Formats: sequence, structure tokens, C-alpha cells
Amino acid sequence: MKIDKQKLDNLGKAIVSIVLGTLSGLATYYIFLYFKIAIFGWNLGLLFSPLVAGYVETYIARKTIGEGIGAISAFFLFLVTVAYGFIISNPTLGYNIITVGSIIIIVQSALPTFINYFIIVVVVSTISYLTGFFKRLIDGIAHYIRKFFGKESEKTVPEIVPVFDEKASNERINSMEFKFMTSNNPNTVDYENIGYFQSTIIRERNTHIIHLDPQKIEDEHLNLLKKGKDECLEGLAKEVKSAGGNGVIDLEINYFLSGLGGSNFQIVAHGIGVKIKN
Amino acid sequence: MIITSANTLQNREIIEYKGLVTGEALIGANVYKDLFSGVRDVVGGRTSEYEKEIKKARDISLESMKEKAKQLDANAIIGLKISYDNLGGTMGNTILITAYGTAIKYEK
Repeated sequence: MKIDKQKLDNLGKAIVSIVLGTLSGLATYYIFLYFKIAIFGWNLGLLFSPLVAGYVETYIARKTIGEGIGAISAFFLFLVTVAYGFIISNPTLGYNIITVGSIIIIVQSALPTFINYFIIVVVVSTISYLTGFFKRLIDGIAHYIRKFFGKESEKTVPEIVPVFDEKASNERINSMEFKFMTSNNPNTVDYENIGYFQSTIIRERNTHIIHLDPQKIEDEHLNLLKKGKDECLEGLAKEVKSAGGNGVIDLEINYFLSGLGGSNFQIVAHGIGVKIKN
Repeated sequence: MIITSANTLQNREIIEYKGLVTGEALIGANVYKDLFSGVRDVVGGRTSEYEKEIKKARDISLESMKEKAKQLDANAIIGLKISYDNLGGTMGNTILITAYGTAIKYEK
């Protein structure tokens, strides 16, 4: 078998370039960790060490082979820094915007073409699909063109979130042959204590990052919470009724976020179930 | 209308427990408002705009609660509870302000 000496030589030089690039990156990361060069707890070595590795490797490869070999050492550094910074050093790192942003920057420096394609095409398309931004933009332009040529004169009616019927809700909650009381000792009421009861409901919320109409989302969320609270109270009343009670004292209503990234509203109503005698 | 966080009304006799009354208000989904509030948090100083919004939301929830008490023919609310819950998740401040209590009728 004939071996191309030139190719073999270049392969050796490429491996040397990658090794030296990786070592430079590791040294950089060590320096950043040693001097704790960080912003808001996020070590800048995560960003700079893959960059240094890629730069050194490309520089050596260009000098020895005559062309770059794709910053492979930057990818190695990416794996090392992620493994150390996110898993070994800080296993409890939370799911928040800084963590997600850091990962995006690191991956971007390791795989620029793929990530840029991902950000520009996939992310923008997903946002467009979820928020309908481009559809609205195109619809808006089409509307003005039609209006300009006199084919349309009336403006499209904006979508309005229906108002929650507070009065009906109040009547319903207080007309179930059941009394909810926040007081922990209603002294003019003769009652028998049955036990502690609670009711929980979970409702999915709108977690879009970009809102074209923030007020609409706010109204939707408030309606969701109000309806959820009513359903939660009805659930609590049902529980107490099934145990022979007809009221709750020391009532508490709590609201939380639950699920990954706080994707759900969780509403909990709890109190002491009682049987009111008078 | 008397509103108290106590369980009783001193020197007044409660004739009837009318039931639960609630009021809710949500603030902060407006990203621009949050943005400026965030800037003030960083550079220091009171985020007075945000405080005003919270006060406004609290007033809305208390008013809503009072309206419902009137609807039940009550003349006081006892056992008042007000809570502030941040329901914004990782993406900012959405604060739910809830006020609730027991509507009662007392002898005047």
C-alpha cells in the first residue's frame, strides 16, 4: 500500500496543532479559574478558553500546513469546560437565563456555523411560529396595501380577552350550602372540627418569552388564576362535604409556579373542615 | 365598611358570616416597565414606578373584595389576608396580589 508522505506529514502537524491548541486552552481556563475571573458567578474562562484554543490551533496549523483545520481543540475545550464548570464544580447550578445564555455562548464559540444557523433559522422561525410575529407583519402590510388601493376600509378588530365574571363567581362560591371562613376561630358560630383538608389544581400558563401584546397575556393569566382559584375552592368544598362537613375555617389560598421553568400555575386552598351546627 | 385582619370586631356583635370574598390583581407582564425597573435596581435608588404599580394593584384587589362583600349584603370583612406572589418564573416580575377575607354582618 502506497502511503502519501505529504498527507501523513500534514496529519502529524494537524495533531500537534490540536494538542497545542487544547493545552493553551486548558492553561487559559486554569488561569481564569485560579484568579476567579468571573461576572455574576459565571467564569469568563468558559468563553475565553475555547477561543484561545481555537486561535492557537488555527495559527499553528496555518503556519505549518498552510490552512486552518476547523478549531477542533475549541470543541475539546468546550467539553472540558462544560464538564468542569457545570457538572463537577457546580452540580446545583440552576435553570435560569444566565445558565442558558452561558451554554449558548460556549456552544456558539465551539460550533459557530451550526449554532448561527440554529439561532437565525430555527430560533427565529420558532418564535415566529409561536408568536405569529411574521404573520402579523405580513397581514399588516397586506392590510395597508389593500387600503391604499381602496379595497379595504375597515380596520381589523383586535382580539379582546373576555372579562372574568366576578359577580357570578362570588355568588357561586358563597351559595354551595357551604361557608368558607378565613377566621381561625369564628366565636359566634357553633361548629364541630372535622379535620384538615386541602385542594390543589395546576393550570398551564403562557410561557412565551416575547409578548406582542403583554396586556392580553396579563389578562389571560389573571383569568386563569381566578378560574383556577374557584375550581380549587370547589374541590375543597367537595372534599369537606364528602367527610360530612359544611364549612372551612382558617382558610388559606396559595399561588405558586411549578413545572420546568415555572410552566404551570399551582393553586392550593387549605383549611380546617368543620360541621356548622347553627 | 370595616376591614380587619383580626378574627373578631371588638365591642360589636357578629350577626352572620356571609362567606368568602376575594380580590386579585396582576402586574408586571409589561416588559418595558420591568426593563426600567431593572435599570433602577442596578444603579440604585427606589423603583418608585414599580411601588406605585404594586399599590395600585393592591387597591384594585381590595376594592374588588369590598364590592363582593357589598354584593353579599355584608358590612365588614374580618380575617383579612393579603399575599404577594411572584409568578414571573425565570423571565421577570409578574406579581399576583391577592386579598381575601370573611365577609360578615355585624350589629351597628
